[in-house]
Amino acid sequence: MDTFILLFEGLATATQPSNLMFALLGVMLGTAVGVMPGIGPALTVALLLPVSLSFGATGSMIMFAGIYYGGMYGGAISSILLNTPGETASIMTALEGNRMAKRGKGGKALGAAAFGSFFGGMFATLGLAVVAPFMVMVALSFGTAEYFALMVLSFMTVSAAFGGSMSRGLTALFIGLTIGIVGTDKLTGQVRLAFGIPEMSDNISIAIVAVGLFAIGETMYLASQYVNHKAKAQAVSGSVWLNWGDFKRCIRPYIRGTGLGFLFGPLPTGGAEIPTFLSYTTEKRLATGEARREFDEGLGAIEGVAGPEAANNASAAGTLIPLLTLGLPTSATAAMMLAGFQQYGLQPGPLLFTNNADLVWGLVASLFIANLMLVVLNVPFIGIWVKLLTIPRPWLYAGILCFATLGIVGAQGSPFALILLLGFGLIGFVMRRFGYPLAPALVGAILGPLAEEQLRRGLMINQGDWMFLIESRIALAIYAIALLSVFGPRLWALLRKANRKASAAA
Amino acid sequence: MSVDPKNQAAEEDLRLPFDDEAGHGTGKRDLAGLLIAVALFGLALVIINDASGYPIRRSYAKFGPEIVPYLIASGICVMAVITAIMAWRGAFEARDPLNIGALSWLVGGIVIEIFMLYGGTGFIAGSAVLFAFAARAFGQATLALNLAIGAVLSTLLYLLFRYGLGLSLPAGPVERTIDLLLR
Repeated sequence: MDTFILLFEGLATATQPSNLMFALLGVMLGTAVGVMPGIGPALTVALLLPVSLSFGATGSMIMFAGIYYGGMYGGAISSILLNTPGETASIMTALEGNRMAKRGKGGKALGAAAFGSFFGGMFATLGLAVVAPFMVMVALSFGTAEYFALMVLSFMTVSAAFGGSMSRGLTALFIGLTIGIVGTDKLTGQVRLAFGIPEMSDNISIAIVAVGLFAIGETMYLASQYVNHKAKAQAVSGSVWLNWGDFKRCIRPYIRGTGLGFLFGPLPTGGAEIPTFLSYTTEKRLATGEARREFDEGLGAIEGVAGPEAANNASAAGTLIPLLTLGLPTSATAAMMLAGFQQYGLQPGPLLFTNNADLVWGLVASLFIANLMLVVLNVPFIGIWVKLLTIPRPWLYAGILCFATLGIVGAQGSPFALILLLGFGLIGFVMRRFGYPLAPALVGAILGPLAEEQLRRGLMINQGDWMFLIESRIALAIYAIALLSVFGPRLWALLRKANRKASAAA
Repeated sequence: MSVDPKNQAAEEDLRLPFDDEAGHGTGKRDLAGLLIAVALFGLALVIINDASGYPIRRSYAKFGPEIVPYLIASGICVMAVITAIMAWRGAFEARDPLNIGALSWLVGGIVIEIFMLYGGTGFIAGSAVLFAFAARAFGQATLALNLAIGAVLSTLLYLLFRYGLGLSLPAGPVERTIDLLLR
């Protein structure tokens, strides 16, 4: 019951006018960037990191969470109308959604997506509020060995789950870890990898790394391709409101999608990609009657939109569990939010719940409010967001670049910071071009210094004996999970392949 | 079980991000990939060179600030070897042709902005030029129109962030005029 008392107190924080404003700003920005192809919530939080310093910790975290949720709503719009998912979480929505739009049922698909996001977001946020205190209790018993194991888990799974291949994920991770050691060592004051440059002997600001890799690198990558930057969107056709028949078809996918999203969100498997995929395949397998026909004939089934959309919002809420209780980011956006906390000198983890209870519960309560705002913004006002798709891409990306440099100029204000920004942009571009995922680099740069601190504290306590790392049973269990989550999906894929071969042969 | 072509196409869309490791490479030796491997080796050397120069401290830990850099450097070395093997075997996917022109406009725009910002022309002018160059990189060749839109956008951003959020941005003649008018 304590949870609900705390949640009510959080509601008082969240309904303060300024925090309501930040929530609204967040969900509007989130939806807007979710709509635009090529920019996702992670990039948006990155762009806002430097300028959010003047917003205060609670305000900016509420805004960031709003962006995260909003991005999941908005992503559905570009997937359905343009067949270009704004971010990875919406890839599955595009499959059936775009087919529906081509058949003149785009409105219905958008409605199913918006209500699905609402359903998934609401129930998973409730789940977050219930589960988080238990996680905190568990996490309070963790020592250096366990924390180090958790960070290794995060490193491994982030490298394995994002993007193309394990080896490239690990390479990206090590690049991130290298960025993390630049600057003054916390424990001894030793200056590392600074090459005599004063700006480098303070640690490299995560904002520069994030904006460089994600914003500058991504725009360079987009510009370097010979593609037509003027793809045409399907018009919204039909009402976005669902009738009873549609709703009956959607409710089961909503429930299953929410379950999958909430289950997989907290696991360090890279956010929403896997739960949306599983939700889609489940709906496809379970479809009967009309839905079966629509799936099989490529007409676009509403279940295929409803499930994944509930799943991606539920996973966004699920992702916040390890982020808030353990300080572990399991998606790129969560990593950005962790950087946001660090900017204010806050370290997410069990202590955050005791030391900054008003912030944590204010944030959780504001998620409910953000969800309400989003369903209002996305059902009656859907037309406004669709208009965003008509902004000419060249100006859109040019505007993003201007905003990206503005943030760094305003917060750092030195030519060297901008040169560094350009450097990280070029690194990000090369990584994107060769299929290296960017998220592990960011997680490495953010978590690397924390992992190092745990490791060296542990070594100090145990007088240089490395065995302490594997003497804790909890830590061993975490390493086992890390191995499983890295090799499990591979085994699963192999099994699937073998199954498909067997069924093809039969 | 008969599989109709549409369904099969959907099945291919459904590839999970991690099961495309094998079989999609070009199979050709990849010079650019080898270059990445060399760069990774270089990075590892730089880290080792830096870490070997730290003064030795005696502490209970027995390990000082050099231990983690050494660990990271050895990790990078392993990844460099794997990258080299991947490039040698052609495991990298085929890349789209590179639009060097567009990329130069973009990088050029950023470099010019850096010079303008800290050469005294102020934020609005520098940002407008960056906007125009970036729009040009994305194929919008109307340079005068780009500059005009960029100038309007940058002015709005300047007003919002200078007066709304109190960020200090490099000021030139235009910014000083605005500041004078608004005082």
